Amino acid sequence: MLHKLTGTTKVRLFLVLTVYLIMSWDLRLIVPVLIAGIVGLISMRPNWKPIRIMFIFFIVINLLNLFLFFIADPDIGTKFCGSRTVLKDLPGYLYISGETMWYLFTRFIKILATFTISITFILSITPSEFAAGLYSIKVPYKICTVVELAYRCIPDIVRDYQNISTSMQARGVEMDAKKIGLWKRLKQMVMIIVPLLLSSFDKVGNIANAMDLRGYGKLKKRSYYAEHEATKADGVFKVVYLAGILICIAYIAYKMLSPTYLQLWYPFV
Amino acid sequence: MKKGIGKAFFGEWNTKTIVTMAVGAALYGVLMVYGGIPIFSQTNLSTAMIVPVIVGAMYGALPCSLTLLIGNIIADLIAGNGMWFDWSIGNAVLGLFVGLLPVYGAYITEGIFKVKHAIIYGVLCIVGNIIAFGIVTPIFTYLFYGGELKVTFIMAGFACAGNIAILLIVGIPVLFLLAKRYASRTNLTAE
Repeated sequence: MLHKLTGTTKVRLFLVLTVYLIMSWDLRLIVPVLIAGIVGLISMRPNWKPIRIMFIFFIVINLLNLFLFFIADPDIGTKFCGSRTVLKDLPGYLYISGETMWYLFTRFIKILATFTISITFILSITPSEFAAGLYSIKVPYKICTVVELAYRCIPDIVRDYQNISTSMQARGVEMDAKKIGLWKRLKQMVMIIVPLLLSSFDKVGNIANAMDLRGYGKLKKRSYYAEHEATKADGVFKVVYLAGILICIAYIAYKMLSPTYLQLWYPFV
Repeated sequence: MKKGIGKAFFGEWNTKTIVTMAVGAALYGVLMVYGGIPIFSQTNLSTAMIVPVIVGAMYGALPCSLTLLIGNIIADLIAGNGMWFDWSIGNAVLGLFVGLLPVYGAYITEGIFKVKHAIIYGVLCIVGNIIAFGIVTPIFTYLFYGGELKVTFIMAGFACAGNIAILLIVGIPVLFLLAKRYASRTNLTAE
């Protein structure tokens, strides 16, 4: 069903949800969005294989990240909750406090929700719809085109990158990360990237000419072929994102005005 | 052909600029995700930093800045690491500094890039990185996400060091090469 929405609805919904996820550290607010994201993702019946790889990668990176957060500042939870419950002392300046653990957990769920939402968004939208959606929130259409084209170019660039990398390896360049040092790896990266840059920027002339020949950029406004009329589902989601905006405004106002406001919702006080 | 400072700053918004920005943003996004050598959590010794050098050299500061902004948002979207608009804005600020090339007279597209320009470029890269990731990003981190500044500063330190290294070690030779390439072309067209 998500596929059938207009670009406008998709982009607006995504933006509202992103702001919503950025502003709150409250699991009661985050978990519904996470569930909605997962439902949305499943409802699109995507190809699960690449998603699974991304997902594993995501979890590993984020666990590492959380660990670094912990090492950098074991007291971080206290700043968010205003209290400190030491559960266990560790050697050195480290200790485990309930607040910090809760903070790290909330953070993980929060980023997980953002991840699901952005995957769902990326899978459900086409470049033209993306541009149409951005145009609907009054972004100048030349910027919309930049986003659209960039999004459209990514598969090409990834393909070129893989081709160049394979052909370099065929010429006997060692690409295995474990066997070579940092400096050499950097050098080899540059060896791949210079041809990649040249081949990508060489295409610019062709694309620009093709666009000019079709009269791009002559007028102040434009419309989008990909943007169809709003369906019933669009109406439903319009209510959803309008409600989202209201919640965001209310929450941020509350955050600004309330003196006793705590960043993080901590249930075990 | 000397352009005014305004034009060097804002760039000429024709179709070619737009397409270059798009390709640059896509390259930046892809290279941010796949073309980096991890040095710290979510911070790479990222080869993507060559992209703003080229876009800035060809089209000026504002296109360069927007390229980085959009490129970073795209990188966030395809990497699925969450949206970090504070870093995107920091990148945009950095893009402004890197893209200033034509403003102080380094017209790469006409083959003008001398040692003097390289030095200004180097200083601007360092200053730009420090302002972008040492001041602007933490401010927005504080505004958007609240707290957790300590980690941001650590990450910013690593990002700064990595970016400066790439911008100087790879960027300057690339600029000289580009200038040389364009210089030979302009000679040909002049005859």
